[in-house]
Amino acid sequence: MRRLRVFRSLVKDSLDTITHGSKKYHLWMAFLTFGMLTGMYCYSIQLEHGLSVTGMTDRVSWGLYISNFTFLVGVAAAAVMLVMPTYVLKDIDFKQAVLIGEGLAVSALIMCLAFVIADMGGPSVLWHMIPGIGVFNFPNSMLTWDVLVLNGYLFLNITIPFYILFRHYQGKEAKSKVYIPGAILSVFWAVGIHLVTAFLYQGLQARPFWNNALLGPRFLASAFAAGPALIILVLAIIRSFTEFKIQDKTIKKIAMVVTVAAQINLIMLISELFKEFYAPTHHSESAYYLFFGLDGKDALLPWIWTAIPLNVLATVLLTFHKLRNNFKVLFFCCFILFVAIWIEKGFGLIVPGFIPGPYGKIAEYTPTGIEIGVTLGIWALGAFIFTILAKTAIGIELGELKYKKNKEN
Amino acid sequence: MSNNNKKWFSLNLGRKEKESSGACGCGKTSGGCGAASQSDQMTDAAFAEAAIHASIGEEKNKDGFEQVFDVKMDRRTAFKKLTASLLIGAGAVSTSCSVIGGDESKEKAQIDWEEQFKGNYKLMTDEEKNGTVDRLVRSYQLRTGKTISMSSKNAEEDVLFGYAFNISKCQGYMDCVNACVEENNQDRNSEMQYIRIHEMKDGKGFNFNEADDNYYHEVPAEGHFYMGTQCFHCDNPPCVEVCPVQATWREDDGLVVVDYDWCVGCRYCMAACPYDGRRFNWSKPEVPEAEINKNQHYLGNRMRKKGVMEKCTFCVQRSRAGKNPACVEACPTGARIFGNLLDPDSTIRWVLENKKVFRLKEDLGTEPKFWYFMD
Amino acid sequence: MMNRYNLKYIVSAFIMVLGLASCKHHEDEYHSITDKIEAEGKNYQGTSISSEAYIGDIKTIEITEGAHTFLIPERKSQIKSYACTECHIKPLAKMQNKDFKKAHWDIKIEHANENTMNCITCHNGSNMDELTSLTGKSIDFNKSYNLCNQCHTKQFQDWKGGAHGKRIGGWAPPRASMTCVNCHNPHDPHFESRWPARFNTQKVKERE
Repeated sequence: MRRLRVFRSLVKDSLDTITHGSKKYHLWMAFLTFGMLTGMYCYSIQLEHGLSVTGMTDRVSWGLYISNFTFLVGVAAAAVMLVMPTYVLKDIDFKQAVLIGEGLAVSALIMCLAFVIADMGGPSVLWHMIPGIGVFNFPNSMLTWDVLVLNGYLFLNITIPFYILFRHYQGKEAKSKVYIPGAILSVFWAVGIHLVTAFLYQGLQARPFWNNALLGPRFLASAFAAGPALIILVLAIIRSFTEFKIQDKTIKKIAMVVTVAAQINLIMLISELFKEFYAPTHHSESAYYLFFGLDGKDALLPWIWTAIPLNVLATVLLTFHKLRNNFKVLFFCCFILFVAIWIEKGFGLIVPGFIPGPYGKIAEYTPTGIEIGVTLGIWALGAFIFTILAKTAIGIELGELKYKKNKEN
Repeated sequence: MSNNNKKWFSLNLGRKEKESSGACGCGKTSGGCGAASQSDQMTDAAFAEAAIHASIGEEKNKDGFEQVFDVKMDRRTAFKKLTASLLIGAGAVSTSCSVIGGDESKEKAQIDWEEQFKGNYKLMTDEEKNGTVDRLVRSYQLRTGKTISMSSKNAEEDVLFGYAFNISKCQGYMDCVNACVEENNQDRNSEMQYIRIHEMKDGKGFNFNEADDNYYHEVPAEGHFYMGTQCFHCDNPPCVEVCPVQATWREDDGLVVVDYDWCVGCRYCMAACPYDGRRFNWSKPEVPEAEINKNQHYLGNRMRKKGVMEKCTFCVQRSRAGKNPACVEACPTGARIFGNLLDPDSTIRWVLENKKVFRLKEDLGTEPKFWYFMD
Repeated sequence: MMNRYNLKYIVSAFIMVLGLASCKHHEDEYHSITDKIEAEGKNYQGTSISSEAYIGDIKTIEITEGAHTFLIPERKSQIKSYACTECHIKPLAKMQNKDFKKAHWDIKIEHANENTMNCITCHNGSNMDELTSLTGKSIDFNKSYNLCNQCHTKQFQDWKGGAHGKRIGGWAPPRASMTCVNCHNPHDPHFESRWPARFNTQKVKERE
């Protein structure tokens, strides 16, 4: 009973915090709300007319939605890079960052699920996928694995920080016995969600562009570069807008993680390019399309040739300690790395998988306005959720939000 | 329709289940029960009386509490009851409960309800299959006043369908494509076609990259040959493996089919198919009423809805009845051969055993049941 | 110590179960479709499906050629001016004079070249009700395929087996196949070129 009361008080307090803030904060939230509403309007059009309002066709049957989904699974998985040292290795440095990281994971996962639902042709019959009530094609379909691991990961990432914050809210220390097993599990789980998402594509013998053994490891490397890069940016923003103290040491340590992951990612990229272009086979056509265009069709060229230089530049800059330790350079690097990987792993991975088609036919894909609207709406949703979570968490951590025992009497 | 052990929850909205022996709810076994039987319908007064009787009739022995709770429920039905009440609150229920609403709209609502929450066709018993087919036929009748015939015929023992395509014979007339579209009620707006005929240059081998599958000139064109592709009904179909809800599967007679009502529209199967055999309904499929093929099968050419997958079924409505698929029948050159692979005397077996046959992308291990050969 | 041992045991058992569960379910034990056809076709009992109803009003005759027995459409009743002897009361040689009205004037032979074929390569000048083989043996109009197979032996082999030609009715037994002249005009056997039956405008848009 007491716990319930505390919980009620927590919800009330957090509602109080998230509805109060500076003018900038309100402007930001209004902006996000507007984005979400636009997205919802676009989605309602899509619901009415079907997926024909998107740029997808029988030829390129997955597009912007699935691209973003793939990328965001990586962002969600990357939160673990902060969890592991903090909870398991008892590295104090990451302590402040980890709650932010887990908040990021939660919002990324919610965005993932939203993107998958937006991509469905029949969202009204999605209950067919619920185990027990519908028919769950486990273990044959990798998509069912993905559903399981994503929801499991979402559960883990909600419960662990919630437990810690709930304790802190009451002014108590969180018991490590309770959350450490969960944290360890979530470490493996994070690798799992991204590997499983990679297997989703990797297991298709029909699409040679995806059907290579490097896809899974490369997913992990790029995720552990892009995810922490985003966390650094978010931490930088939080640092300058709130009183939440994040030490330089923490950011530098995360920057180290980003650097190593980006380097590994670059090595894998080189290995992939070597394989595709040194001895090109019939199966290299997708790569040719992506990097050089095929038969005069070259819609992806500007994208990929933005991503590759950005990726290389960021990795090179990060490699030098002096540059990396300069925060201006670091933030710039993180930003371009994030953008580069978003292109490479979203558009640059999903679309060329379908081009050329099984019989060599090339139909290009360009997202429509409605598709982009829905996508931006979902990103706004993610940012909205993250802002709420972060604001509450920061409030609790700073001691602004505290359970007052006799408040309700 | 009145079996008690359904796998879905059926909402009895004060409408008495009429005894139906025939295809449709009116009890007539032949002819339509819509517009055609207008003359022998009851007068309004008699109708009202019957309706009142009907609404109380069956249930007057039970009180309200029993009606609601005296139902055997498993987890599944319980859940459905729960979600359903949340989901369909406004729409179906309000129509079906309204006093003014006619018997027909109530029936429509009930059919919609049962269809929304029915199970996967693959797992249905024969009785349930008949039930859903009856509902679909009745629903079509209520909506359009026209009668269709829909079959739920299962795979026959000792049948495994196979197909052979003679590359030397095909002249690229595309009569097969035409027949397929008309037979299978494909969406006319998006010009969906299951079959593709690839026009290839002589001397370049099977070069699909340079082939044109949308030519429009006099055929056969000088220096070209033609090769048709469609769903190959793989024996080890990758599309079936990846479907998260088992909405697509291989039947015992080898046909790879889709339950359009169970498909969630994730298009994973489309990505998994190496043969471009699957099509998606990006918008609501439309076929002019006059052009609708009314001889249908649940797994075949019945009307689809938006947001679901569909594909060639070797015309299941025809092939399970002993006919050839529409493409085979339409081909003027005899390039298409269809038959039972298990029958040692069948023509398809003779082709496999005596001609130099090959299949596309055999290295993928999908085991297509669609062979090519040359004279 | 005991506890730890148990834990290890449980964990490894769990992993094994997980491994087993995640194996792909291949319900069939065949390596390839040909193995499957062979194995499952061994005890073929025949099916209850018949395509007899779809042959419809077409009058058929049963023929046996080599190991194959099947139905082909009866021909004579389908020829408009059969029996030929209703007009051809005299042998052909005697009819070739100016007093008679010309019949079959519209028939032009577009079949092989003039050195190889003319009317009497197939038609019997002295008995127009029957066809004639290259060696002068008579061939019944109903079995005109015997005339064709004198040259087109490969096509005949394929036709008997079912690789050439078309089925009447459906795939199910009884087998009824069209005979040569149902698709090929014997005087002009090749297929005309024409425009495709359909053109897909959406596909053009899609590939712009």
